[in-house]
Amino acid sequence: MADVMNVGVNLEAFSQAINAIQALRSSVTRVFDSLKDGMKNKETLEGREKVFITEFQDNLQSVNRDLNELERLSTLVGRPSESHPLHNSGLLSLDPVQDKTPLYSQLLQAYKWSNKLQYHAGLASSLLNQQSLKRSANQMGTSAKRRPKVQPSTLALPTQYVDDVISRIGRMFPDMSIELFRPNGTSAVLLVTLGKVLKAIVVMRSLFIDRTIVRGYHENVYLEDKKLDIWSKSNYQAFQKVTDHATTALLHYQLPQMPDVVVRSFMTWLRSYIKLFQTPCQRCGKYLQEGLPPTWRDFRTLEAFHDTCRQ
Amino acid sequence: MGVTCVCQVPVAEGKSVQQTVDMLQKKLEQLGAIKQGNFWVDCETYHATGNATGQPSKLLYVMHNSETPLSCMALFEGGPGLAADANFDVLMVKLKSHFQNAKGHKVESRGTRYRYCDFLVKIGTVAMSSSARGISVEVEYCACVIPGDCWNLMKEFMQSFLGSNTPELPAAFTNKAEGLYSPVDCMDTMSQYLELFSKVRKQQVLPGSGVR
Repeated sequence: MADVMNVGVNLEAFSQAINAIQALRSSVTRVFDSLKDGMKNKETLEGREKVFITEFQDNLQSVNRDLNELERLSTLVGRPSESHPLHNSGLLSLDPVQDKTPLYSQLLQAYKWSNKLQYHAGLASSLLNQQSLKRSANQMGTSAKRRPKVQPSTLALPTQYVDDVISRIGRMFPDMSIELFRPNGTSAVLLVTLGKVLKAIVVMRSLFIDRTIVRGYHENVYLEDKKLDIWSKSNYQAFQKVTDHATTALLHYQLPQMPDVVVRSFMTWLRSYIKLFQTPCQRCGKYLQEGLPPTWRDFRTLEAFHDTCRQ
Repeated sequence: MGVTCVCQVPVAEGKSVQQTVDMLQKKLEQLGAIKQGNFWVDCETYHATGNATGQPSKLLYVMHNSETPLSCMALFEGGPGLAADANFDVLMVKLKSHFQNAKGHKVESRGTRYRYCDFLVKIGTVAMSSSARGISVEVEYCACVIPGDCWNLMKEFMQSFLGSNTPELPAAFTNKAEGLYSPVDCMDTMSQYLELFSKVRKQQVLPGSGVR
């Protein structure tokens, strides 16, 4: 900031002017000192008065000289730039008590930080907008003219259609059975039993998969009152990992216009877990890594990897 | 309730039972297993009395497992078995006339229980009348219930701390009528322990292995 402030200032003249001020101060001090000291001891009164007056005149002349010098130098120094970078808050920099209240430096840091943040946020939003991450078909920011017109939404499908799609998918795979429940209104909750390996509870919102939780085959899926337990995690780390991967999968398989294709792809992916304990990892060749079997299934090739061997 | 495999680990050359157990425990702890208390499995033998003609009397084994403390398992060697609640012991006392307790034949295995990710490992000292006769290791993979599915996985885990002492697929699974791909139950574990205890009973007393 100093550069901006002193752009019109001649630094040489500035230091000379400071020296001139010091010289002026000392000559003024000399004047008052000599007045305070009074007349020196001489033989005659006229002699004393004469010496005193000459001394006084010399001192005053040196003061005059120094003052002229200072005036000359001050014209050379120039003015500091008028435009404060932060307008009035730039005047805070003139506060001399820097260590007690470092207001100006903190203010500058805050501004720099917020400018950087804005820049990074702009970059991030341009990158993120390249991938369309909207899971439903509703568009945001439709113009007022279009809003009254009803848009075909895949969010409000008739329950019979959902039932049909699910039962068709259930028949596709012989080792996977899908049971459909509707414990809370129109949202379907599926209980998918995969062979004797796992049970997955899939909570849907019309034909979109909302949430999934995977537990072992022998774990209890029902609550005390015979309802499906859709919240408690599995007791086993392997199935907790599979739950995390399944959540990643349902975010990966997205096609807002054709939700039944999405459900089919998800079920095909889930079916690859039938050999969860039998397949070694494709990368390291072992069955176990930190006590866990290969829980990751590649989204395209359905190959098995350990969570840590993924990349 | 997962797939269990019970095996016997021979005592290391020139070491005592306790030292071998300590070695195994240290290996497990190096792997990252956490100690989770103790376990015990015991087995009592009963002779069936009142048999007609000189048929060898069948032996009934009544076993308990700290994993299922409220249960009691009773099985014949190689034959059918049942799981009952703890009052079964009292019933056996009442059936004294039909089944006689062979008091000197009680075998038990006591030791520590470790947990590693989804595995439960129990390392115990097998003792008969207060003398240590051998070492039993039980590995349970809790996440799976089908032995055929996870056998390779369990073998890999057992190799990491048992080395060359890793057992083969237990006969309890291969002898099942439904095959390797039927779900396990508690009887499979108990019959494996029974096999181990019978082997230990037939062994000679190990030199210098008295546990006071």
